[in-house]
Amino acid sequence: MARLLFLAWVLLFGACERTLERDVIVDNLIYGIDTIPVYSTSAEKDKLKTTTQFVSTAYSQLYLRPIPSGTLNDLALLRSSHGDKNLIGELVISHFLADNAVLATLPSDAEMNTDPEAFVELTYLRFFLRLPTAYERYALSRQIVSDPETTVVEVYRAFLLSNEYLYY
Amino acid sequence: MKRRDFLRNSSMASASLFTAPFLLPSGRVFARSGSRLVNHVVFVLFAGGIRNQESVDQGYLSTQGAGSSGNILPNMLSGAVPGGSLVHSPWAPALSTPLSQQGTLFRNLRYASGPTGHYNGHTVAMTGNYTDTGLNLNLNPDFPTVFEYYRKHSDPMPNARSCWWLSTELGPYPSLNFSRHPEYGALYGANYLMPGYGLGEAAVQYLGSLQTLHPEEANRVQGIKAQLDGFFNQGPGQVTGVKNSDEDTRSIQQLYLDLLSGADTLDLPLPDGVPSYFLTGDGANIATGWKILDRFQPELVVINTTNSDICHDNFSEYLSALHKADYAVGWLWNKIQQHPVLANDTLLICMPEHGRNLEPNGLVDANGLRAFDHTSDENSRDVFALIAGPSSVVAQGRVVGTPLSPVGESIDIVPTIAHALGFLDAIPPGMLPGRVLNEAWT
Repeated sequence: MARLLFLAWVLLFGACERTLERDVIVDNLIYGIDTIPVYSTSAEKDKLKTTTQFVSTAYSQLYLRPIPSGTLNDLALLRSSHGDKNLIGELVISHFLADNAVLATLPSDAEMNTDPEAFVELTYLRFFLRLPTAYERYALSRQIVSDPETTVVEVYRAFLLSNEYLYY
Repeated sequence: MKRRDFLRNSSMASASLFTAPFLLPSGRVFARSGSRLVNHVVFVLFAGGIRNQESVDQGYLSTQGAGSSGNILPNMLSGAVPGGSLVHSPWAPALSTPLSQQGTLFRNLRYASGPTGHYNGHTVAMTGNYTDTGLNLNLNPDFPTVFEYYRKHSDPMPNARSCWWLSTELGPYPSLNFSRHPEYGALYGANYLMPGYGLGEAAVQYLGSLQTLHPEEANRVQGIKAQLDGFFNQGPGQVTGVKNSDEDTRSIQQLYLDLLSGADTLDLPLPDGVPSYFLTGDGANIATGWKILDRFQPELVVINTTNSDICHDNFSEYLSALHKADYAVGWLWNKIQQHPVLANDTLLICMPEHGRNLEPNGLVDANGLRAFDHTSDENSRDVFALIAGPSSVVAQGRVVGTPLSPVGESIDIVPTIAHALGFLDAIPPGMLPGRVLNEAWT
């Protein structure tokens, strides 16, 4: 009994006393290279990305390297040339997601379906730079499992087109 | 029948007459939002800074003491072409009857207030309010644009695909498809396209081999996106610009991909036998505008031309650019009149955003012709406007205004469009200081 009480005390208070310290490198945040959670909740995101930030983060999070300046300039101008940013954004993202260099960085559909919750967690980290809440993890996992036709590319596309992805 | 019943029935019948949807000759059904003169308006901002001396005055080289006078806008205006000493390559007109004979010419119309800058001039023409706001690359205008008035005050509210703004350049121009007015904004904005880049070489490189998503794939993506959005407490804001419906998004993407992949091509506003490398940026913009008109039949389109701004340092090229832009406008009108939906149901309005100075700036081109800036002198406030349309709506061949007695102002185009498309009365009082150019109507 005493051991159980001690264990309960450790779990209850020991965890609370633990202090995590982390250096956040701003460039890594902007370009989304880190796979550690930068945000604890989505509510911390209250600033809209500029066109340059949107294109560069999408590129770096898919290609896992910073965007070349020429490509960034081309795609920023392309986005500026259209009034419906979502409409042209979908096409730019389709271009990224059709590139073999990006496809090589993606988990397979089989991996996603084998452990959807782990896939959801990694996808949240990759694009939203935070961990999903328990309900977010459950809901998206359920959606993936409920439709076996769902692909990794489709999930990635949805993240990149989401409202949260427009903010940092 | 009792008198009370008669009155009730007759008033209901009258009400239904005004509110029930009706069938257009094109087979399209829509509900009336107000009395319309036409169902389509194309506003060509014949921009770049055009002096009346070279347009409606038809001075050609005579104002420089370097040659003959003559009309270099034979598609828009009546008048004999220059007799000699040509510094441009004349193209045979696209129209057998100039637009001034198919409508009303406001020969002298005032840009009455504010700097005569390109962005200011565009803003004035598209918002119906004068502005002193200088160039700012990231700011939408203070006052609502004509697109926002059109969408917010038409009933039912038209989709974004019903109105388009096409510009020859980027810079501040993409911001003119909606304002930052708190009561309007992106929700009521127009689709915007800068074809030179949006459908140019880079677009072909990045997007030319893409295909639109299969509907089932698109549905799955939308389902996941909707779930993600449901967990996030903020909307997309104005950063995403104008928002098309899912169906319209697919159709617009399909148009872009058709053009980028070569599955569809632009008709070019060039005379027979003239090679495509003679196509100007103005011509490409108007050609793209026509493609959009042809495919979607939008109700309100604003297209600009700006190549004539080369007048800052090359007067000969300015004349040439004017001549080619005029051809493109005539070509566009021909296309419209051959279209089953747009023909005889479209108003075409042309107006420069402002003029240019009376005095030259000191630069001389290879032909010895002096160049002109636009620095808000009185001459740069003198422009023209041309309104062409069906003879049942627009007075044909009428000319109003003189240099000493101008008629109309730049701010009058927006209320005139609002009147033609039947939503003027729904715009709150005080928003538009201009007036309808009623002199144009039959």
